[in-house]
Amino acid sequence: MANISLQHLDKIYDNKVQAVYDFNLEVKDGEFIVLVGPSGCGKSTTLRMIAGLEDITAGKLLLDGEDITATPPKDRDMAMVFQNYALYGHMTVYENMAFSLTLRKEDPNLIHQKVMAAAEILHLTDQLNKKPKQLSGGQRQRVAMGRAIVRNPKVFLFDEPLSNLDAKLRGATRREILLLHKRMKATMLYVTHDQTEALTLADRIVCMSMGHVQQIGTPLELYDTPANLFVASFIGLPPMNFFKVQVEENRVCHPLFSMQLTPEEQQLLKKYIGQEVTLGVRPENIAEGDEISMKVVSNENLGMSTLVHGYLGDVRTSDSSLTCKLRGWCDYRSGDVVKLSFEKRHFFDSQTTAAIR
Amino acid sequence: MTQFSPEEQKLIRLDRMRYTKNVLSSRLALLAIVFDVLYFVSIYSSDVGSWYYTLLIGASIVYNLLFMLMAFLSSEGVKSYRIGYAWLLMALGIGQIVRIFILPMQAWHAEVTISKVTYPIMETPQFTYVVICLSLSAVCCLVAGIIGVIRSRTLNAYTATLSEKAA
Repeated sequence: MANISLQHLDKIYDNKVQAVYDFNLEVKDGEFIVLVGPSGCGKSTTLRMIAGLEDITAGKLLLDGEDITATPPKDRDMAMVFQNYALYGHMTVYENMAFSLTLRKEDPNLIHQKVMAAAEILHLTDQLNKKPKQLSGGQRQRVAMGRAIVRNPKVFLFDEPLSNLDAKLRGATRREILLLHKRMKATMLYVTHDQTEALTLADRIVCMSMGHVQQIGTPLELYDTPANLFVASFIGLPPMNFFKVQVEENRVCHPLFSMQLTPEEQQLLKKYIGQEVTLGVRPENIAEGDEISMKVVSNENLGMSTLVHGYLGDVRTSDSSLTCKLRGWCDYRSGDVVKLSFEKRHFFDSQTTAAIR
Repeated sequence: MTQFSPEEQKLIRLDRMRYTKNVLSSRLALLAIVFDVLYFVSIYSSDVGSWYYTLLIGASIVYNLLFMLMAFLSSEGVKSYRIGYAWLLMALGIGQIVRIFILPMQAWHAEVTISKVTYPIMETPQFTYVVICLSLSAVCCLVAGIIGVIRSRTLNAYTATLSEKAA
């Protein structure tokens, strides 16, 4: 069992910089939580506070109901995997994995069994006699994970473990982490700035910005119903397109286009009539149609789909740029005009940036 | 304390050898070097007349250098269960015993006369000391070698069984 409760956590550094503001989260046993956000948003600080590597300025941290706010890291029964692996270069893979248990003076036979079991899970059995420098980045990261597994901790903490790997290896290691979680059913907290990792790994995602939690939800919730403009722009690749539009009774108007609202949208935007709101549309929710015309700037064929970048009207501005992801292989050239329709639209309050629901 | 049966323990101990080093043999080999150093520091510090200034002392110095080099290499070799180095350590151990009967023994029996006064080249306490140093060095080498041979053979036999099973 490993339920974690983060209650009103704040982190203020000695230089008075506040990195985390009022962080609240309940992590259930066996849950995979991903903390995502841009660099400097406080996600690693939060993880380090959970690990005990950073002092908690205010708030409480509970593990299975027990207050561990001031408990030293070694007594927290948590294992952390770092971005830079943190392996001992002079030790073999086996020795690296066995090290923490050797320090605890556990029975060498038991240590051996645990190391072999972890190596089997991580496909490292053939690498046990090698030194870290003889391994690839992915293998090194697996050793770091193995070192965490042998301890059989209550909670696994991952601090951007895949950031040092190339794209192909990242994908493979990501799948291994997912399998590891399914196999061990352990509580895991994972920090990343890569939304693909967040969306593919998480049971729930915590999206952070500037030290504040922006939204907590399942990957689908964050993708489909973002709480605000930040989450909408951060989750999804390529990012969502935004336009400032004026709300009228049954339509929204932009200087370069006007769109009919569905009855549900009309209901939603009733109190915004006459005001400006932000219209958001994901590139994959744009299809060839007849609502707007876009002048093509560039075309990126991805195989199953094509990313088309362009702008509305005659002049390219931040409020007229548009990226759409069209199905299939398209061969548009710069200057071509494409007719498009928005299939699914999101609306955000221009003042508060919150989603209008 | 342990949850394994004696058979399981034996099997795990064997399997562990595939990933752990033969630290005992390696450290004994290094200890043999330490005793050798204590031996030669004592014997070369004797300064009584010119008895020592012969070809024998030159050979002794060269052998000491070779001994230290080979013992150090062997300490690394036996660490990874290389049986050849274990045999080499045993040979070095025998060599250390033989050395007792060359320079120290000769020095113990020899005398030098200076201004009609006869002095022993090496007095009994010093002789005892160097004999102990060389003996301990020899014992360390021999034990390291024997352990190295036993463990290497055990490991080789175990890995051969594993290969057979895999085949």
